[in-house]
Amino acid sequence: MLVVHYFWILLGLPVVAAGLCVLLRAPWAIFTALIGMAVAETAVGALLVQGVFLGAQESAAWGWFYLDALSAYHLAILLLIYLLSTVYAAGYFRHELAAGLLRPAQIRRFGILWCGALAAMALVIISNNIGAMWIGMEATTLMTAFLICVHRTAASLEAMWKYLLMCSVGVACAFMGTLLAVAAAHGLPLSGSDVLLWTQMRAAATQMNLPLLKLAFLFLLVGYGTKAGLAPMHNWLPDAHSQAPAPVSALFSGFMLNTAFYCILRYVAIIEVATGGSGWSLHLLQVFGLISIVVATAFILFQEDVKRLLAYHSVEHLGIISLGVGLGGIGVFAALFHVFNHSLCKTLAFFSAGRIGQIYGTHAMAHIRGTLKAHPVWGIGLFGSFLALIGVAPFALFMSELQIIFAAMDGRAYVALALFLAGTGAIFIGALKHAMAMAWGEPEHPTPAPAAGITDMILVAGSLSILLAVGLWMPEWYRSLLLRAAHIVEGKL
Amino acid sequence: MGLETLFIFLVLTSLVLLGSSLLHSSIRVVALQGAALSFLPFLVMESSWAGRAVFLAALTMGLKGIVFPILLNRSLREANLRREMEPLVGYSLSLALGIALLILAFWLAGRLHGIGVGISTLSLASAFFMMFIGLFLIIARRKALTQVLGFLVLENGIYAFGLTVVGHIHWLVELGVLLDVFVAVFIMGIAIDHISREFDHINVDQLDQLKG
Amino acid sequence: MNAIPWINMIVALVLAPLLPGVINRTKARIAGRDGAPLLQLYFDLWKLLRKGAVYSRTTTWVFRAGPLIGLAAVLGALLLTPFGKSGAVLAFDGDLVLFAYWLGLMRFVTVLAALDTGSSFEGMGASREVFFSALAEPAFLLGLLGLARATDAISLSTILPAVTAATWLAMGPALALIAAAWLVILLAENARIPVDDPNTHLELTMIHEVMVLDHGGPDLGLILYGAALKLWVMGALLVSLLTPVRYGVAWQDALVFLGGMLILAVGIGLIEGAMARLRLARVPQLLMGALALVALALMLIMK
Repeated sequence: MLVVHYFWILLGLPVVAAGLCVLLRAPWAIFTALIGMAVAETAVGALLVQGVFLGAQESAAWGWFYLDALSAYHLAILLLIYLLSTVYAAGYFRHELAAGLLRPAQIRRFGILWCGALAAMALVIISNNIGAMWIGMEATTLMTAFLICVHRTAASLEAMWKYLLMCSVGVACAFMGTLLAVAAAHGLPLSGSDVLLWTQMRAAATQMNLPLLKLAFLFLLVGYGTKAGLAPMHNWLPDAHSQAPAPVSALFSGFMLNTAFYCILRYVAIIEVATGGSGWSLHLLQVFGLISIVVATAFILFQEDVKRLLAYHSVEHLGIISLGVGLGGIGVFAALFHVFNHSLCKTLAFFSAGRIGQIYGTHAMAHIRGTLKAHPVWGIGLFGSFLALIGVAPFALFMSELQIIFAAMDGRAYVALALFLAGTGAIFIGALKHAMAMAWGEPEHPTPAPAAGITDMILVAGSLSILLAVGLWMPEWYRSLLLRAAHIVEGKL
Repeated sequence: MGLETLFIFLVLTSLVLLGSSLLHSSIRVVALQGAALSFLPFLVMESSWAGRAVFLAALTMGLKGIVFPILLNRSLREANLRREMEPLVGYSLSLALGIALLILAFWLAGRLHGIGVGISTLSLASAFFMMFIGLFLIIARRKALTQVLGFLVLENGIYAFGLTVVGHIHWLVELGVLLDVFVAVFIMGIAIDHISREFDHINVDQLDQLKG
Repeated sequence: MNAIPWINMIVALVLAPLLPGVINRTKARIAGRDGAPLLQLYFDLWKLLRKGAVYSRTTTWVFRAGPLIGLAAVLGALLLTPFGKSGAVLAFDGDLVLFAYWLGLMRFVTVLAALDTGSSFEGMGASREVFFSALAEPAFLLGLLGLARATDAISLSTILPAVTAATWLAMGPALALIAAAWLVILLAENARIPVDDPNTHLELTMIHEVMVLDHGGPDLGLILYGAALKLWVMGALLVSLLTPVRYGVAWQDALVFLGGMLILAVGIGLIEGAMARLRLARVPQLLMGALALVALALMLIMK
């Protein structure tokens, strides 16, 4: 098979699966289809990215599909998170169905949209065409909006509306940015649709109209930044994350935010080439990153709802990633490393919070006590992921944050360093207090917890051990992959 | 001359929206604006693009001028709304801010013109102005339906900008804006239906349970 | 010295009270009534001037001086007003600012006189008048500024005659916007529907009329005559803007101008017949709208 076929299968499988979900009625059949699709998709993805991981680049369909180190890395994370979330979703919704909280018809709608979300995000990652990339992003918004209100409650509808409106406006801004970027290439000897190709734009970046390109970047940063949950455009995020079912929150936090940030990274590369590495775009990313960290700190300290707490952690960590990229040099490497660490860790955290929420019947942290006793597996999952999230050594997140500190010291960005340390320090204390209170103590109403299944254990143990392993030892191929991706972002390749 | 008149019309309709207090007349104004936009392809595109211009014009007229207004009016009827806007920012103040935004739009357009976009200041300015007004309506009006209207005006601005600045690029404008608007209004319409069924109203300021 | 401006001015002084007559006649015809005679205001003025005046003991000289200074101010404005395409009696660079200030002075003394009575109703009217004209005046001045910019002149007597058919062809939309805004301002400043109803006597909703409730006899006569002149002056600017034809023969131009004034008066009558008075809360919005139109026109001209 040719490479182009793999690309088409990657996009086609979710669509076929969505069609299948329309036909199926029984929830178990739908979940079987979803898991089967996710496994197959992961296999196809693995075939696609393995070559790129070893140093190659893939391009197909007149250059419309393109996979380099940066996109292959993101694609791998996407598929991993998606696979985990799908497996988890089967267990999560089984309990919801058993408790009579959901009707089978709602499961079917979930299945269709869940497939659509994957196709949309995959399109964003593998598109070399900035127009197609934008369409993928728009489709992501529309597909995921109704995932938020799988349970149709007043609060979830409110969250959905906020999400839909803010992200639609954000994506509209991003479109304006895309138009401006294309306008900046006006007059270059690029033919009709070639001008939309990222590789062509980067190659011609030095001849583009720089002021227009900068204006384009502002629109793109604000637009995609809204979708990525960067403060101060983050308002939709805690609502959507707290109201969505746990698998959806996991996918949102675990990868959808990164999809949007990935788009920003693509444009950072173009700007860096165009400005000859002046760091203009990096400074902006630093500022947005720091704002996100500070805002998240304030809300994390006084949070009462565990899922909202995790949502603000997402704002914080996207801020850290943004700051890392903004610092340049080793910071970009660390930020990209952090992308994976945060995605996996936050996915596990939402898994645990979701199941524990089901067991306790609430997400209010004041009523969640003694999780380690009530349900050891998910209790450990929640506590462990909290420890990792706040940056306890030797989890991988500690390593990536440490490298960001080095990057700040290298770049003499002492203000950024101070804010970063103050923010993460305060979050460390605040979140640890919440986490310990939830882990120990006596459950208010001892609820008969369902026995932990083998999948639950694998999800928790697997995620935590990967986070530990990557923190302790980074394989050589992984390091070189991240280095190449970092070079792409900095426009050095 | 025709182009100038069209852009002035677009600016004026946006201004009218700022002062309009009735939902159904706002929908009509947005429809009028959309219909006016459908003349734009003929005015900005070179004659060699005649087929494409006709296609675009028909699409714009069909969607922005006819389909959206019908959908929105349907939502309005079904949601059984009070017809007043109940703005967060008063109409006169809105208009005053509109004047400030107008000046800002022209300033921005002048700057942009200066850095080498070979497009007249007026067309750039009116595109920006529509975007600003759209954003303003989203922020300053309470009804979910008005926010959809604001989104449409924002999109109209982007559409006008795209058509005048990068209209020569294949399918970018068509797919981008029309797909976006089409799906957005469709989805937002469904969302509004859900909300009105659940809440008996679509006032956004009462969507305020989620905080902190 | 050119006699034509003086003749024009005398024509204005004589014909000004005819405008309200035409307006009221049109309005009456729309409503299916016969209406008051065209010359009603002349009769009223004649009647009022022969009467004596009654002054409240709470009022001071300010109250008595108000109508006189007001009339003097509007006469000052009249001196600067070009009629159609022929210049004004007095013309110098920057006279448009003085023109606006004459009208401002007229309003100022009217408001002072109203406040001098100490009546809460008149205070209310004065407050509204000042608020609304604070919105209308910038729009009017900005419109003048736009025209000055468009014609590269800074005197009323050179700006307005310079607006020719060629100017309209070159920047028609901008001029149309200014004209539309000016029409709104003209209606607002002269207490016409849809801003104010000159026939109402319900104090709560009145603006201009309520301010002059305490005036009587010759004072009221002066005020009514001043109001008619103000309508004429502002109408003259609008008509000059809207009639770009110029024959070069004095009497033909004068005929075109007077025809324009007649059409304007009928137009105002039609508006009054067709529209209802706006709610007071809506008036600032209307004036803001006019300001927005002028701002847009200014942007178009300056771009």
